[in-house]
Amino acid sequence: MPIAHSACPDAFELSAVHKRYGAIPALDDVTLRFAVGSTTALIGSSGSGKSTLLRVLLGLEWPDQGEIRVDGQTLLPAQVLALRRRVGYVIQEGGLFPHLTAQGNLALLPHHLGWSKDRIRQRAEELATLTHLPLSVLERYPVELSGGQRQRVALMRGLMLNPDALLLDEPLGALDPIVRHELQDELKAIFDQLGKTVVVVTHDIAEAAWFADRMVLMRNGKVVQDGRLEDLCQRPADPFVTRFVQAQRTLRGSP
Amino acid sequence: MKRAWIMLVVMLMPALACATPVRIGSKQFTESVILGEIARLAGREAGVQVVHQRELGGTAILWGALEHGDIDAYPEYTGTLTHELLKNVAPDADIPTLRAALKPLGIGITDSLGFDDTYAIGMRADRAAQLGIRRLSDLALHPDLHLAFSNEFMARSDGWPGLRQRYQLPQTNVRGMDHALAYRALASGAVDATDLYSTDAEIPYYHLRTLDDDRHYFPHYQAVYLYRLDLEQRSPAFVQALNKLAGRIDANAMRQMNALVKMQGKKEVEVAADFLGVQPDRDGTGLWARLLQRTLEHLRLVLISLAAAVLLAIPLGVLAARSKRLGHLVMALSGVLQTIPSLAMFVFMIPLFGIGTWPAIAALFLYSLLPIVRNTYAGLTGIAPDLRESAAALGLPRGVRLRRVELPMAMRSILAGVKTAAVINVGTATLGALIGAGGYGQPIVTGIRLDNIGLILEGAIPSACMALVVQALFEGVERWLTPRGMRLEARQ
Repeated sequence: MPIAHSACPDAFELSAVHKRYGAIPALDDVTLRFAVGSTTALIGSSGSGKSTLLRVLLGLEWPDQGEIRVDGQTLLPAQVLALRRRVGYVIQEGGLFPHLTAQGNLALLPHHLGWSKDRIRQRAEELATLTHLPLSVLERYPVELSGGQRQRVALMRGLMLNPDALLLDEPLGALDPIVRHELQDELKAIFDQLGKTVVVVTHDIAEAAWFADRMVLMRNGKVVQDGRLEDLCQRPADPFVTRFVQAQRTLRGSP
Repeated sequence: MKRAWIMLVVMLMPALACATPVRIGSKQFTESVILGEIARLAGREAGVQVVHQRELGGTAILWGALEHGDIDAYPEYTGTLTHELLKNVAPDADIPTLRAALKPLGIGITDSLGFDDTYAIGMRADRAAQLGIRRLSDLALHPDLHLAFSNEFMARSDGWPGLRQRYQLPQTNVRGMDHALAYRALASGAVDATDLYSTDAEIPYYHLRTLDDDRHYFPHYQAVYLYRLDLEQRSPAFVQALNKLAGRIDANAMRQMNALVKMQGKKEVEVAADFLGVQPDRDGTGLWARLLQRTLEHLRLVLISLAAAVLLAIPLGVLAARSKRLGHLVMALSGVLQTIPSLAMFVFMIPLFGIGTWPAIAALFLYSLLPIVRNTYAGLTGIAPDLRESAAALGLPRGVRLRRVELPMAMRSILAGVKTAAVINVGTATLGALIGAGGYGQPIVTGIRLDNIGLILEGAIPSACMALVVQALFEGVERWLTPRGMRLEARQ
C-alpha cells in the first residue's frame, strides 16, 4: 500500500514517458510513481510494455519522450552505473553467466568494486541463508542448478550490494508449479523482511495479488488501471480489466 | 681515445662490407637454378661470398627483388626483357641497346652467355640427316612430313601460324599434342618434327637436331645475367666473375647440364661445379638436419603471422560486434582479402617487404584475419541478449563486461577461429618458398620442378603433420581456456 509522504521523494517516478519500437508503442504516455519501501506488481499480457517499463527505470532503454526520476533526481546517462548498483534486477531465466559458478556470478560486481574475498563470501553466505540455498550449491555452474536454485542465485546476485530497490521481471515465469508456489512464499517473506522498494512484473494475477497490494494493469503500453485487487474486480476501469481478471481466475479456479 | 675509435671503425669497415654476401636468385626452373649455381661457384672461386636463393617463383618476383635490392643478380633472357620487362624497347633489341635501357634503372647486364633458349623446331637427328634437312627453310621441300606441335604453340600467333607464313610451309598433316607426348611420338617415328625449347634436356636424350632458324623467325632469348650496378662498387670481383662467364656456355653444354639434372637426377651444384671444373662445396646436409631447419622456418612463418593476426583481429571483431555498420565494413574488407589468390597475395607483398620471410609473414597475416575476426564477431553477437543485458543491469562498466563476461563466453568461438587460421596458415606457408621464405615449400617447389615425388613428399608430409599437430594443440588449448561451465553446457 503506497503511502504518500510529501516530504519523502518517490523511489521511482515516470512522467509522460513514451517509448516506441518502430511502429509499436511499448510505453504510451505512462505516468507512475513508486513510493520508497512499496511493493508493486505490474501485470498485463505479453507485449503490454511492463518489461519495457522496468528497463527504462534501469536506463537499459531510454524514453523517446518524458522523464524518469529516481529518488527525486532526473535520470541521466552519466548516472546509470551508480543507479544500477543501487537496484537489484532479476529476469525470468535468472540471467546467470554460464562461464562462472554461482559464487563467481555473485562475486562479479563486488569484486570489481574492490571487495575482499572474505567479505564477498560472508555476504554470499548471509544471502544463502535468506534464500534457503545450501552453501554447497554456490560452487556449481548454472547448468548444474535446478530452475529454482538458479532463481535463488539470481536474486542473491541482485541483493549482493544490499540495494534500495528490487526490480523483478517475471522471476518465476520459467518454473514448474510446485517450485513456483514454494518460491512465491519465500519471495513474499523476503520482500516483507527487507522492506525494500519492489516492482515485480508478472502476467499471473494471483501471483501479483500474493506479492503486492498495489497492482498496475497495462495494455498496449498504457496503464489501464492502478489499484488493489478489489478495485480491479469490482470497479474495473474498462471491460478489458474484467476479461483479464476472469481469464486468470478460470486458470487458477480448478482445484 | 678518439683516434682509437676511428682506427677501430676503419679496421672494421672492410669486415662489415664483407659481412653482407652477394645474393643471387634463380627462377623456378632447372636451367635458371643451374645458372644460379654457376654464378655462385664462379663468385666463390673469385673469393666472393655468394648466397643463392633458388627457385624464387617467376620473372615478376625476381625482377622486383632485383629492383628493390633483395637480390643482387639473377639469370635472365633477352626476350623476356624486351617482351615483358622493358617498355619502349624494340623486340629484337641487341644487348648494348638493352644495357643502355637498363642503366637508368640501376641494373647491369652481361653479354650473352653463349646460348639462346627459345622456341625451335626439332627432328630426330638420323631422320633429318636422311632427308638432308638442316634449316627450317629445308622443310618446305618435304610437304609430306607429319608435324605435331604443343597446343600452346599451335594457338599462339607467334607460333605455328606465323612460322608457316614466314617459311611458306606446305605441310597439311599438322596436329596439336601434349608436349611430353610429342617427344615420344617423335622418338617412335610417328611424327617427323615438333616444337621444343632449344635447351630442352630431351634434345640430347632423344638424339634430336634443332633446325637452324635461317629466316630469323623466333625471337632471341639469349641467356644473360642481370645484376645491380651498385655491385660494381660493392663487389667488383663478382661482377668481373659474372662477365667472364659470357660466351662460355653454348646451347649444347646447357642441354647436357639440363639433362644431367632432369634425366639423371644429379644435383645442380655438382653439374655446375663440373662445368666450371671446380669442387662442389656443400655436399648436402642430412635429411633430418634439413627437416629441422625447414620446420623452424615454417614455424616462424606460421607463429609470427598468427600472433600478429590474433592481436589485430580480436579487437577488430570486438569493434565489429559493437557497431553494425562498422561490422559490415570490417567483414567485407577481410572477406575481400580472403578472395585474393594466395600466390598473388605473396607477390603483392614484395614491393612492400621485398622477398624472404617478411612478405610471406605479411601475406599469411592478412589471410589469418578473416577467420579470427569472423569468429570473434560471431561469438560476441551470439551471446543471448538477456545475458548481455544482465551484465549491463549489474552496473558493470562496458570494459569490464567485455573482459569478464562477453569475451569468456565467446572464447570457444574465438579459439575455433584462431585454429582455422593456424591450420590454413600451415598449408599456405608452403607457397612462401616461391618468394624465398623457405620452409616446407622448398622441397615441394623443387620436387614439382624436377617431377620428383619423393622431394614433394619431403615437404608435403611434414606440412600435413604440422597441420595435424596444430589442430590437436588448439583443441587442447580450447579445453584449457574454455570455462568449465561452458563445456558442461555444450555437453547437454
